[in-house]
Amino acid sequence: YPLFQLGGPQLRIFRPNFFMLAVRPGVPQPEDTVQFRVSMEMTKVDIKNYLEKIYNVPVAAVRTRIQYGANNKRDHKNQRVKKPDYKVAYVQLGQGQTFQFPNLFPEKEQDTETRSFDDFKDKYMEREKQRQKGDPRRGGVPDWFGL
Amino acid sequence: MAASRGRRLLWHGRCWFSQTESAVPAPPPADSLYPPIVASATAKSKAAKRRRLEHFNQRVHAAASIEEKLRLYGQLQRPKYMVYPQTFALNADRWYQSFTKTIFVPGLPPRAAPAATETPGAVTPEAAKAPEAAKAPEGAGPQATKAPEPGEVAPAGAKTPEVAAGAAPYLDMGQLRSLACDALLQESFYQNKKRPALYRDQDHTPGPFLTQLVSTLAAFLSGHNPLLAASSLDLNPEVNYYWHHGEEVVVHGHRKGRVDPVRFQIDDNPHLQIRVPKQLPEFVPLESDLGDVPVIEHKPSKLPLFKKQYENKVFIGSKVADPCCYGHTQFHLIPDKLKRERFVKANLEDQIEVVYRANGIASLFAWTAAQAMYQGFWTEADVTRPFVSQAVVTDGKYFAFFCYQLNTLALTVETTQNNPRKNICWGTDSKPLYDVVEDGSVKGFNDEVLIHLVRFLLNRPREL
Repeated sequence: YPLFQLGGPQLRIFRPNFFMLAVRPGVPQPEDTVQFRVSMEMTKVDIKNYLEKIYNVPVAAVRTRIQYGANNKRDHKNQRVKKPDYKVAYVQLGQGQTFQFPNLFPEKEQDTETRSFDDFKDKYMEREKQRQKGDPRRGGVPDWFGL
Repeated sequence: MAASRGRRLLWHGRCWFSQTESAVPAPPPADSLYPPIVASATAKSKAAKRRRLEHFNQRVHAAASIEEKLRLYGQLQRPKYMVYPQTFALNADRWYQSFTKTIFVPGLPPRAAPAATETPGAVTPEAAKAPEAAKAPEGAGPQATKAPEPGEVAPAGAKTPEVAAGAAPYLDMGQLRSLACDALLQESFYQNKKRPALYRDQDHTPGPFLTQLVSTLAAFLSGHNPLLAASSLDLNPEVNYYWHHGEEVVVHGHRKGRVDPVRFQIDDNPHLQIRVPKQLPEFVPLESDLGDVPVIEHKPSKLPLFKKQYENKVFIGSKVADPCCYGHTQFHLIPDKLKRERFVKANLEDQIEVVYRANGIASLFAWTAAQAMYQGFWTEADVTRPFVSQAVVTDGKYFAFFCYQLNTLALTVETTQNNPRKNICWGTDSKPLYDVVEDGSVKGFNDEVLIHLVRFLLNRPREL
C-alpha cells in the first residue's frame, strides 16, 4: 500500500477486533434504547463509529457502564470462581427509530397428536397419584401406622 | 382519659416526628365514655402510615409562617432526582412535561382585549395599512401584526402617529432597534476583548449583550409599563423547587421494598430575572384543557436522570419577605455544551428545539411553583388562582419565547387522582435576532423578535 498522507485516498480497510452483542434488557428500556454487551476496551466513540460505519445505524447517544462479575462462587477446592466482567452499552437511536428486542422462543402451535398425547399423559399421572394415596378415611396417615 | 391527657409519643421511622408530638387527639363526643377508636400511629401498617401522613399534612397546614411551612415541607431529606433545565438528554422536553404535568402548546398564548383600545399600525413595512380596531386575535403567533395593548408599536422605519383619539403614548420601533443594535455592536464590535477561553464563548459576548439589552429595554419601557418601574432585576439569581410526583418501590438499601414518592429537585440559574410586586394576568381560565400530558411509563433514570440527597430548597430568587414576590420574565442563556453547531455536527438537528423547550418548561415550572409556595399554596392546598410567568431562552443570536401558566401544584399520587387541572406552557421556535455583525453594522435585523421581546416586557395586569 502507498504511504497514507492527510487528505489522500484511504485504500486500507481496518476491521476492528471488537464484537458487540445485542441483549434483551433486564429492566424495561425506552423504545429508542438498545442494550449491548461490548468488549471492555471499547469507548462510547468506538461504539458510535462501529454501529454507524459498519451497520449504518444512526446513533444519537451512547452511555456505558462496566458490570462487575461476582467472585463468590466456590468450586470443589473452595477456591473462588470469578464470573467475567463485561461492559454494557445503552445506545439511543437517532432519527426517531425504535427497537424492541424480539421474542426468540415463541409458543409453537401444537397439532392434534401432541395435544391428545399430552392429555393422555396428564390422565395417567393423575391415576398414578390417586393410587399412591391411601384410604381417604385415614386422612393422609400412612398405612403402616397403627397400634 | 389517660389517652387524652396529652400523649407524648416518639414516632420513629420518620424524621418529621423525631420531636415529641404534643397534639391532643380529638376529644370524645359527649355521649361516649371512651376515646375514639383510631388506627395506631406507630405500627408497621398502612393505616398507621396514613395517619402519620395525615398528621404531617396537618402540621404543615397549621404552620405559623411561610418560612415555617417551607421548612417543614422540605424537612425530610431522601435521594431525589436532579432535574436540570439545560440538559443534553434526548427528548427531554417530553419527559419534563410528564414530570410536571404540563401541556405544551406551540405558539404564544391568546392575547386579551385591552381596556383602552388603541389602534397600532402594522408591523410589516407595507404602506397604506389601515389601522385596525384593536380586537383581540386568538392564537397570536409570530405572524401577529396587531398589538392590542396599551402601548402601540409603530411600523418599521417610520414614526407613524397614532390614529385613534386620545393621547396614548406610542413606541418608536426605530429607537428600540437602535437600542438593541447599540448593545450588540458594543459587545461584539466596538469593545476590545481578548479571545474567549475554552468553552467560555457564551460568557464572552452573548452574556453581556443580553444583560445590556434587557436592562436598557426595561429602563426605556418603564415609562410605558409602571409595573417595570416597580420591578426588581436580578443578575444570575438562583431558582429552586422541590416536589413529589408518582411512586416507586425502593430498590436496594435498608428501606428496600417500601413504596416511596418519586422526588425531584430543580436548581436553576437564569441569566437574568425580573420580579414584580403584582401578579401577571392569566392567559386562559384555571380549569381549561388544551391538550394531553405525555405519559412515560419508564423510570426517570432512563432519561438519564441521576439521584442525589441534599437540601430540599424552594426559592424564587429572593426571600419570602421581599415585596417583589411574583415573577415577570426570566432570561436564560444556553451554555456552550448545548450550542447549535455541536448538535449539527452530531446529526441531531431535531434536538436543538428540544433544548429550548426543556429549558423553558423546567425553569418556568420551578419559578411559578416556588412563587405559589411563597404565597402559602402547596401540594395539599392547591392554587386558587393561576400563576403566570414568561421566559426568553437564547444563545445570543436565536431567541425562543415561552409563557407558563401554573394551574395546579398537586402532583403526588393521592392528590392527582381527582385533579383534572394541568399546567400549560406556550412556546415558540427559536428565531434569529440578526444574521451577522460585520463592519460596525448589524445585517439582517429581525424586528419580529424584538417586538416579541418588547411585548413580553410590556405585559402587565389589567388594572394598571
